[in-house]
Amino acid sequence: MGRRLESQSVSFAYVPESPVLADADVGVNGGEVMGVIGPNGSGKSTLLRVLCGFLRPARGDVLLDGQPLCAISNRERARILAFLPQTVTPAFALTAFEVVLLGRYPRLGPLGAASARDREVALRCMRETGTDGLRHRDFGTLSGGERQRVLLASILAQEPDLLLLDEPTAALDINHQAGIFALLRGLARNGYGVAVVTHDLNVAGQFCDRLVLMSARARIVAQGTPRQVLTRDLLTEAYESPIVVTEHPITGTPLVWPEPASAGGARP
Amino acid sequence: MRRRHGGLMAAGLTAVSLAAVLASIGVGSESISFAAAWRDWCAGRPLADAPELAILLQHRLPRTLAALFAGGGLALAGCVFQALLRNPLATPYTLGVASAGAFGAYTATVVMRSAGLALALWGFSAVQVFAFVFALLDVSLIYLMAVRRHHVSSSVLLLAGITLGMLSNAGMMLVRFLSEPGMLAMMERWLMGGVDVIGYEPVVRLAAGVLPCSAVLLLQAAKFDQLGFGAEVAQGRGVNVRRLQTTTFLLGSFLTAVIVSEVGPIGFVGLIVPHAVRSLTGSRHRLLLPLSFVAGGAFLCLCDIFARIMLPGETPIGIITAFIGGPFFLYLLLRRRFGDWET
Repeated sequence: MGRRLESQSVSFAYVPESPVLADADVGVNGGEVMGVIGPNGSGKSTLLRVLCGFLRPARGDVLLDGQPLCAISNRERARILAFLPQTVTPAFALTAFEVVLLGRYPRLGPLGAASARDREVALRCMRETGTDGLRHRDFGTLSGGERQRVLLASILAQEPDLLLLDEPTAALDINHQAGIFALLRGLARNGYGVAVVTHDLNVAGQFCDRLVLMSARARIVAQGTPRQVLTRDLLTEAYESPIVVTEHPITGTPLVWPEPASAGGARP
Repeated sequence: MRRRHGGLMAAGLTAVSLAAVLASIGVGSESISFAAAWRDWCAGRPLADAPELAILLQHRLPRTLAALFAGGGLALAGCVFQALLRNPLATPYTLGVASAGAFGAYTATVVMRSAGLALALWGFSAVQVFAFVFALLDVSLIYLMAVRRHHVSSSVLLLAGITLGMLSNAGMMLVRFLSEPGMLAMMERWLMGGVDVIGYEPVVRLAAGVLPCSAVLLLQAAKFDQLGFGAEVAQGRGVNVRRLQTTTFLLGSFLTAVIVSEVGPIGFVGLIVPHAVRSLTGSRHRLLLPLSFVAGGAFLCLCDIFARIMLPGETPIGIITAFIGGPFFLYLLLRRRFGDWET
């Protein structure tokens, strides 16, 4: 493994007058979970899509192990990095196993026939995500937490080295949220590089090795360990609203809360 | 569950379809004996002296082949449009190809009549040429409006397609309003469709349009599965989404335009056949696409048999596809086996 995906002074704008990313330098390495946090509209999802190669930066480069990402074919890229968007609603009814098996696509031959090995890999990925018991279930009948795990299994079935996830826990309860993140941690321990966009700063603080904090002004406010990034000053600057930071009673990781308006916070 | 019997279903469906095709060759207003035709064939008799063989070779066989190619092409186009637009209601005609074709056909009828011309271009009638050209114009306009840098916008495809379809319908009404009553019957009949071709020229034209397009579309099967999860997932798996959307839209529309200009806008095949097949085999396109083609061809052959025997003379086939297809579609709906769409 030991892959590295990085952006080098990347700029991007959907419309020229309002840049979403300006000179962004971020990177994700094999073996770590990198959290991308920041307020709505700060360009977290855009950053992820630039790193995936879906959006071409106006300036700067995205490099995979030092090579320009755009020089790699779509198929080759899909074998190295896998992307999971925020909402995935399949148009057709499929069983959970079929959903996972479809993740094998970039590894299939030209006719797209799945071999016994492909089925084996799909099943292994379901086991890794604790979803093998669901394999005969109709994907549409699964709960939100089960769906996310099955989708995670489906991108693992691509056998990638890097995972880029856009708010994989957006609709999940606190328990399932922690479950997904614990799973991501485990994957990183096995060598995967994980970049994950999330709105839950507390979960991010607990499970990520590194955080990238973005602000609405097309700027990366801070990068570093959760302790370095999740501070009162940096968060207040990024979210343009007063934030309190305390400590997790057990792990000691930062806990983040908005400061109540009555406490005298100067709201912009 | 039922999906695990995919191979069995495929074999069964193919067998039933083959029976329908054979029946279509065998059934007609003249009852003919295959044995007699075979003896004539072996004896090498000229067709003029072998009436049974002549009916078989010059009427039944081309007609059956036309139904097979047209039905297969329409069902396949419907299936890929449903995948492209991620919409279970999509048909080959959703994007206005049939309406534009019909507008072209009506225009041709009026223009030729008033100019006193009987234009024919390399064996194509004016109606065919106009229908085809109008349909392609519709397709190109929609594509130009919907194409984006990284993908083709499904919602623009849909909205532009429906709008152009309505415009074509308005154009058609204008042409009807302006034309003489005598011509209306002719136009109306065209709208109802018919595979009552004679000889092999129409069959060759259909095959030349339908078979290559179908072959390319069938090769995309695995990509349609990916597109079912949305453009971004497909892109993440390495599918060139824009190329897939462009290929699907252009080839699907082209083959529909070929069929419509040859046999008229026969409805329902492109909607119900993919759903019926999906309810048997599941949603994996590697199985779904080829079986939709086979079942669509067989379905139109079957409808054509009814067209030949139901009433004295020919019943327009578009009426039959609707009368058989409509209730069957409602049955699927009631059985809650409306294809396999998440609803």
